[in-house]
Amino acid sequence: MMRPAHILLLVLIVLLAADGFLLLSSAHRRARWREQDRLRAIAVSGLGLTDLCVATEARYTRHPAVTDLVAPFMDHPGAMDHFPSGSFWAPPPRP
Amino acid sequence: MRTLARQINILDYALSSLWRRRLKNASVLVVFTAVIFLVASFQMVTDALTGTAQEVLVNAPQITLQRMSAGRQVNIPLAYAGKLGAIYGISNIVPRVWGYYFDELTGANLTIMGLDTSRMPMGDQLRLTLAEGTFPAAGSRGSVVLGQAVRDMVRARGSQLLSLFRNDLSMASYQVAGVFSRATDILTRDLVVMSIADARDLFRIPPGQATDLCIYVANPTEIGTIARKIADLLPDTRVVTRPQILKTYRVVFGWRSGFGSICLLTALTAFVILAWDKASGLSLEEKREIAILKVLGWQTADILAVRFWESLLVSGLAFLLGVTLAYVHVVFLDGVLFRPVMVGWSVIFPPFHLAPAMNAQVFFLIFCLSVLPYLAATVIPAWHTATVRADSALSGA
Amino acid sequence: MLIELESVTKIYNQGQPNEVTALDSIDLRIEENAMVCLRGSSGSGKSTLLSIIGCIFPPTSGRAAIAGRQLARLPDRFLTLHRRRSIGFIFQRFNLLPALSVMDNISLPLLPLGVPPAERRQRARALMDRFAIRHRERFPAGQISGGELQRVAIARALVNDPPIILADEPTAHLDTGLSQVFMDLMAELHAAGKTIIITSHDPLVTEHPAIGRIIDIRDGRIHAA
Repeated sequence: MMRPAHILLLVLIVLLAADGFLLLSSAHRRARWREQDRLRAIAVSGLGLTDLCVATEARYTRHPAVTDLVAPFMDHPGAMDHFPSGSFWAPPPRP
Repeated sequence: MRTLARQINILDYALSSLWRRRLKNASVLVVFTAVIFLVASFQMVTDALTGTAQEVLVNAPQITLQRMSAGRQVNIPLAYAGKLGAIYGISNIVPRVWGYYFDELTGANLTIMGLDTSRMPMGDQLRLTLAEGTFPAAGSRGSVVLGQAVRDMVRARGSQLLSLFRNDLSMASYQVAGVFSRATDILTRDLVVMSIADARDLFRIPPGQATDLCIYVANPTEIGTIARKIADLLPDTRVVTRPQILKTYRVVFGWRSGFGSICLLTALTAFVILAWDKASGLSLEEKREIAILKVLGWQTADILAVRFWESLLVSGLAFLLGVTLAYVHVVFLDGVLFRPVMVGWSVIFPPFHLAPAMNAQVFFLIFCLSVLPYLAATVIPAWHTATVRADSALSGA
Repeated sequence: MLIELESVTKIYNQGQPNEVTALDSIDLRIEENAMVCLRGSSGSGKSTLLSIIGCIFPPTSGRAAIAGRQLARLPDRFLTLHRRRSIGFIFQRFNLLPALSVMDNISLPLLPLGVPPAERRQRARALMDRFAIRHRERFPAGQISGGELQRVAIARALVNDPPIILADEPTAHLDTGLSQVFMDLMAELHAAGKTIIITSHDPLVTEHPAIGRIIDIRDGRIHAA
């Protein structure tokens, strides 16, 4: 009969092995990402890009770095905020 | 050896007592795992985005100059570029015409970017970023380079041409010269790059104007000084510098953002409920158990150790499970639960092809915010056990 | 093991308005391998006396010694160690943990002693065989009959092989038959060399032939020895 502490040890070993595998796979992914660093550097420099392409629904989520400071009052007084992505992005800091 | 055997015996007892109340403990474990999963996923996604932004945007334009009028950005006259000639140290000024195009058919927002890439730094290497095709020669009209999402849209229509409507509803068609690589998706997915003349024609912007000016200086340490000089010279403009862009992306996914607060609030609420349940003293049943164990020769420290093991196991397992699941969620499933929240109603879903963030600091922070308070909240009230008198298990007391 | 008490006094809540003198300078000597009944009504102080003999707490003043070893001024930690090795307890209503199996209940005193699981099982099974409860090994203590419960409680008191067995009102909630069985088992243990001390005011206990001595306690004092 296995004692409870041994079962726990087994569970922990399985979990840690899984995490070890994930750690290795993340290193691998990171290395692959690094190989493409130069491509992204060229794209940003060559096109003068200022922002990441994450949420494309509004000016202040697509280009938070270069939109108006008072971004929420975008188009007309009744314009709705884009929820939830709009609240995911904090407003840009004051220069 | 005896001490170790004793600790393992106590651990066994703690495990079997967890098992006896498995329904309650499993639900605590599930809730706790879910909370840690949520917080860790949020941290990992935002960490990956922040990290990616910091890595990638170090190459952003040194200075972006926009004209402001009536509290909003308007087109900037090209004549402003001439005025800047007076400032010493500026090496290059590139006007750009760019904006958004709402595609009525799919409901997607595209970013249209018109500029003369041959004047940009590294502009001559842009063909390396293409998965297929070539980059059109400077000044050549009628051909565009597309991001992956836009290419998919064009393809879905079974067309070789990208057709866009000008604001007078006349149609403009462009030859697809090239498609950006998936490696640059996080930057280029929704892009349509064309010549500046084509962009002017599409947006009906007069020849003497542009959307903004990219300004490069000879000495990068002078960016701040020159930005100030530009702001003094042209008071109706907004000057965005590269350090400001990087700063924006350092804070843009902070805890202060609404979503961050929601995650944190959920975590806090769940934790308070758990802690409340644990801290609200001992039940009669528990008191009896403690008194019996004490009479049978258990030290107060042994009984505290049982409590400690129970709490450590529940919170430690929840931590391991939560963080592991969060990593799988963010890296292998592309943060599938968060994406709808982050990208909102965007029709173009950028895949989160990000450098996976395995940040020891993040794990430590989450550990400190979850396991430690749980241990404190459950073990500290267990000093109650010390106040249970062993003789209360006897009849006379 | 010889038990010696010399002018032992126990005062609860000393110096507070609800101060109670539970034991008032008790002198008592219990020889090795004696079988003794502490008789007294509830509140007489007999449970307090049992607690002091059982090393649950030290007396407020006076001297208490088991096998020549002074207990009076030992800190709680060492009292517990002493209790672990020398004393077996049988409680009123037997105080088993109802959710634990019979096996686990019997092994409880062995856990803090660091006894490994195989030896725990072996010792518990030997006792279960002796008291004919082996077939209940895996049953939760909450699901067995009163007679079996009693034998589990005795097995638990014996599992660390203590020289002294203390029983606290063991027959208070038992019918006549079970009380008789209990006392016969105690007599057996006594014959095997254990020192046995039982608190009770049940005639079934006090008049049992194996009881060698009855100590009457009233208001924290010993009346007749």
